[in-house]
Amino acid sequence: MRLRKTYGRQSSPLWPLLIKELREITSGRALWTMLLLLCPLVGYSFFQAVSLYGEASTAALQSPVLASSLSPLDGILVPTLGSFYVAVTLLFPFVAIRALGQEKETGALRLLVQLPYRPSTLVSAKLAAVLAAWTLASIPALSALVLWRILGGHLAPAETANLLFGHLAYGLLVGALALFSASISDSAATAAIVALAVTIGSWVLDFTVAGSPGILSWIAQLSLTQTLRPFEQGLLSSGLALGTACAIFGLIALATVWLPPGVPPRSKLRRSLLWVLAVAVMLGAATQLRLTIDVTEDRRNSFPAADQKLLATLRLPLLVTVHLAPEDPRYADLQRNVLAKLERAMPNVSVALGGPRQGFSSGSSDESYGEVEYVYGGRSDTSRSTSPREILPLLYALAGVSPPVPTPGSEYPGYPLVASADATLFWFFGGLPLLIVLSWWCIRRPPSIDSSLMHEGGLS
Amino acid sequence: MRSAELPICQNPVPPLSVRNLTKRYGEEPVIDRVTFSATAGEVLGIIGPNGAGKTTLLEAVVGLLAADSGEVVWHGEPLPASQRRNALFYLPDGVRPYRDEATSQVVSFFAGVYRRSTAETADTVSSVGLRPVLHKRVHALSKGYNRRLLLALALLAPHPVLLMDEPFDGFDLRQTREIVEVLRNRAARGRTFILAIHQLADAERVCDRLILLAGGRVRGAGTLDELRAQTELPAGSLEDIFLALT
Repeated sequence: MRLRKTYGRQSSPLWPLLIKELREITSGRALWTMLLLLCPLVGYSFFQAVSLYGEASTAALQSPVLASSLSPLDGILVPTLGSFYVAVTLLFPFVAIRALGQEKETGALRLLVQLPYRPSTLVSAKLAAVLAAWTLASIPALSALVLWRILGGHLAPAETANLLFGHLAYGLLVGALALFSASISDSAATAAIVALAVTIGSWVLDFTVAGSPGILSWIAQLSLTQTLRPFEQGLLSSGLALGTACAIFGLIALATVWLPPGVPPRSKLRRSLLWVLAVAVMLGAATQLRLTIDVTEDRRNSFPAADQKLLATLRLPLLVTVHLAPEDPRYADLQRNVLAKLERAMPNVSVALGGPRQGFSSGSSDESYGEVEYVYGGRSDTSRSTSPREILPLLYALAGVSPPVPTPGSEYPGYPLVASADATLFWFFGGLPLLIVLSWWCIRRPPSIDSSLMHEGGLS
Repeated sequence: MRSAELPICQNPVPPLSVRNLTKRYGEEPVIDRVTFSATAGEVLGIIGPNGAGKTTLLEAVVGLLAADSGEVVWHGEPLPASQRRNALFYLPDGVRPYRDEATSQVVSFFAGVYRRSTAETADTVSSVGLRPVLHKRVHALSKGYNRRLLLALALLAPHPVLLMDEPFDGFDLRQTREIVEVLRNRAARGRTFILAIHQLADAERVCDRLILLAGGRVRGAGTLDELRAQTELPAGSLEDIFLALT
């Protein structure tokens, strides 16, 4: 073997590292145990969803109006993938932590960091393995979608892909969090506690402070589950997607900072602080991105197509002043039915809460409470309605344009389906677990040894 | 001692020099102003009892542990901690890498990373006697075979200087002799080995030069003959010398 003055790190291929990381994450029990647990979890959720959807569809088959309210996104996809979300929150950290925690515990990390790869490359390879593990873990959920199609169900490609993308983003976020936890912890157990403190802490935030006003509202936005919600509503938000990507990048950067064992903790803290500041700036920039696309087939997050087209032509600023407390349910209605749609449809919309904050439960005597003022092109009008049927004509009147003629044939037909999912239970409780166990057994089998390695050596 | 078999180093600057390396945990120095150098093709032994600071010294030299002061010099130039892995490869003690993988997979991983040919890999596997357990998972290896695996990984690394912590731990006398032979052969081709050893008999058998470490300080350095002269024990064993110096 030729000796050199030093060994250059640039000449090493990436594939052995990637293969090793994939082998590491698939050879552990955590991934396969999670897969086995996912089978009944996803299977029963799917079975229940199909049953409930079928019950609702029985009446809807006789009524086109009822049928139009039946969307597989709400009825099948979100509940089925909801169980997958629970498993990713509670179990996936254990799978992802293994990618780094095992090496820390066995001391192999001290060999790994000496290999000719940058720490960022090492952590990125682990993230790639985590992505592969998430893909494997999603098999039960994906098989549920296939079964839904086999049962005769409808899947809208855009909204299905968007929802899967949301789950992927959430899975990678949890995976990156787990890798960061493993990088700062001495043992896998400690790393799991750190990761679960954040994921379960997000649930606590959701239950305790979501919907609260002021700073609590901002804190609630830090919940990881907020990542998934717009995707479940059929929205593809550029700001959210970029923000999630920034958060994943930030966690990976922090894991990279904390990976090398030979760097003093003070230096690691200093670098971490710089990364946290950089990521905070990136997240701030991401929140400024307003582009959000409604990918639902029933266009539930948008006004009717003709209105959307006309509203897009109203280029002047629209100022909306809402005299409602943020915790008032009417404000939530107005936000969902009108304001959020207006912000997506019109180029320049500003929403402000008017007057001193009043609690809707405090019995305020202010007569203007509940009013919403719309100002457009120097003209203004007021309404207490939260329905677009009343607000849109008001806006058209302010803008001096005629309401558009509804486009015929653009109504969402709905996809009622009465089907029995009994047979699918055999798949989720029998076939799929059996396949998973077989795959596990195949992976655990001793590999065939390259015969060339068995030849007698001559260099010793 | 086999120093007569070593190639003569034409370059007066040793490839690796360690100067005044100090590492403290709190106020207590674990290694205290340790200075030594290693030449090409040399087998340098760092010997001392448990707790002498051998592992800390090796980890500080390769940059896996942040030293408080001192420097590592490579061919006359300071070598920053971040670049030491380009010149030095360290084999830690007590590591059982990638427990769930087959031995052959771990070997292939390192061979792939360092672009070793199949022949080179097979030679390394054969030289350390790893062939009988290639099919076994790492967690199923005995302590001795795990040590052979680690040695194979270190020998697959192309670095000019290899540092090994207790490389003979887990071997019986015959096995130790086999591995000593392997290391001597590699050293004869110009590779430098720095071995932390607490078994003085092993150290006497394999090392060209010795650094005696106790309480984190260098108590003596040189070939066995030089140490005998230093301690005025002309027929003394390494054990006698060590007791005299510490």
